[in-house]
Amino acid sequence: MIYHISGLKFRYGDTFLLDIEELTIGKGASLGLVGPNGCGKSTLLKILAFLVKPDEGVIHFDGEKVDGNGSVLKRDVTILLQEPYLLKRSVFENVAYGLRARGEKRNLTKNVERALQIVGLPPGQFAARHWFELSGGEAQRVALAARLILNPKVLILDEPTASVDQESAALIKDAIEHARSEYGTSLVIASHDLLWLNTVAEDIERIYNGRMVGHETGNLISGPWHRASDGLWKKTLVGGEMISAVKPPHADTTAMLNPSDIMLSTDRPEGISAQNVLKGSITQLAVENDSGKVLITVNVAGLSLVSRVTEKAVRNLHLLPGGTVWVLFKASSLTWY
Amino acid sequence: MDYIAAGLIEAFGFLLRGDGETYSAIFTTLKASTLSMAASLVIGIPLGFLLGYYSFPGKRQVRTVVDTLLAMPTVVVGLLVYAFISRRGPMGDFGLLFTIPGIALAQTILITPIVISLTATAIEGLDRRLRMTLIALGADARQIAITSLVEAKYAVLMAAVAAYGRAISEVGISMMVGGNIKWHTRTITTAIALETGKGEFAMGIALGIVLLLMAFLANSLLTVLKRRL
Repeated sequence: MIYHISGLKFRYGDTFLLDIEELTIGKGASLGLVGPNGCGKSTLLKILAFLVKPDEGVIHFDGEKVDGNGSVLKRDVTILLQEPYLLKRSVFENVAYGLRARGEKRNLTKNVERALQIVGLPPGQFAARHWFELSGGEAQRVALAARLILNPKVLILDEPTASVDQESAALIKDAIEHARSEYGTSLVIASHDLLWLNTVAEDIERIYNGRMVGHETGNLISGPWHRASDGLWKKTLVGGEMISAVKPPHADTTAMLNPSDIMLSTDRPEGISAQNVLKGSITQLAVENDSGKVLITVNVAGLSLVSRVTEKAVRNLHLLPGGTVWVLFKASSLTWY
Repeated sequence: MDYIAAGLIEAFGFLLRGDGETYSAIFTTLKASTLSMAASLVIGIPLGFLLGYYSFPGKRQVRTVVDTLLAMPTVVVGLLVYAFISRRGPMGDFGLLFTIPGIALAQTILITPIVISLTATAIEGLDRRLRMTLIALGADARQIAITSLVEAKYAVLMAAVAAYGRAISEVGISMMVGGNIKWHTRTITTAIALETGKGEFAMGIALGIVLLLMAFLANSLLTVLKRRL
């Protein structure tokens, strides 16, 4: 394995931003990290890149225990930040910087040209350009080329497709898959773009409130919950709709809902036993890598719920982004985290 | 108004026919300001970098002192340097009083805080992502420091131009430390002050035009470099 992390804690003041009991990442793996904004994804990525030191915990990298700030290992790991920074110099100089810093100047031009080709930027057209002569997607790919040229053991990407067009997102995917297959580079990718992430990551870990909450794609519904007259506990959504659950351990406990437990209907269902029947609109469809099923994200009064359905159901129900659906699940399907 | 127009015409005459006294003042200004600027850059850029890049106890107080020195009156600098380099002063043996190096020394004291302060501001204003990016690319502490300075090069160049502008335009130091000696330490600004006092507008205007041209050239150079850097 390339990383083994145990008992990792990172605080900001008195608040825990990260509290991870154990995390293992295999050599040559492609791990996706998903979670809401502010859940600790970026902090975890910076810790994995040895840019930030955790307050507690042990990190083993490539079999060795990391002491201090991991300065010896920094050159084995590289990170592409959410908003990459390009040096105020040419594309060539930006891509060559890391190799120059390492004193590796042999075949520099050839290596830079190759890295640019991998990210889909013809060297003849781009190498001499200044940093300000690039579009957002091109700048992102130059920053990626500057990391790929280093042949890192681990490439960490923080929201690599957040501000790029579809073409750039596809080229970024091809480039990092090339690095993985050619050099055995392990990938750790945080992204909100589930559609894109599902095509790149072999495994997806979920992070919520600084904790790893498993591989399974799941829905997290935070409290507070209040007891209703029917004996069930309710969470009120924006607009007044309510989610019903059986008794939570505490009023502010977060509920988990398996996507397979959510059914979708294009017509309002009548006479069913499920306590939760919520109207929403489809925002995203993505094919799940390992199951071959389709993950459908539905926005219900500002809350995103993911449902796992078969490809046949998608076709039969004509489920398309923008379409209106009813989301159905039992109150007992909610488990407590 | 006629005397101003006549003075302007005569001024171009001075410049075109290579009037010795006018050009002596120009060259004296160039020599003193070039020396002082070179010295202030050598001292000011590293100090400004240290002040902007590193955190240390008392940094804010040091910054306040440097920023206060930006507004130092030229006559105060002139007075202090005069006291130090006059025969009775601790540096009297160097014979710097009423010499171009003497003017340059005092100008260096005047403009070095400008270079320090603007360089520190430039370094502090660097994008916060720069440091993380350089670490991610494998740069060590020395490479990060050098690259940070290079990234701030345009702002540092601005500091140099601002310092140069202050050096060529000051009067107090050149008058007190240089002594305004004709053919020897008379600079453009002291000559303008003297000639205007005598009612000789032509030479004053001619030198004024040269001073403006020098400022214009310095800023033009900055614009060209901004495009190329």
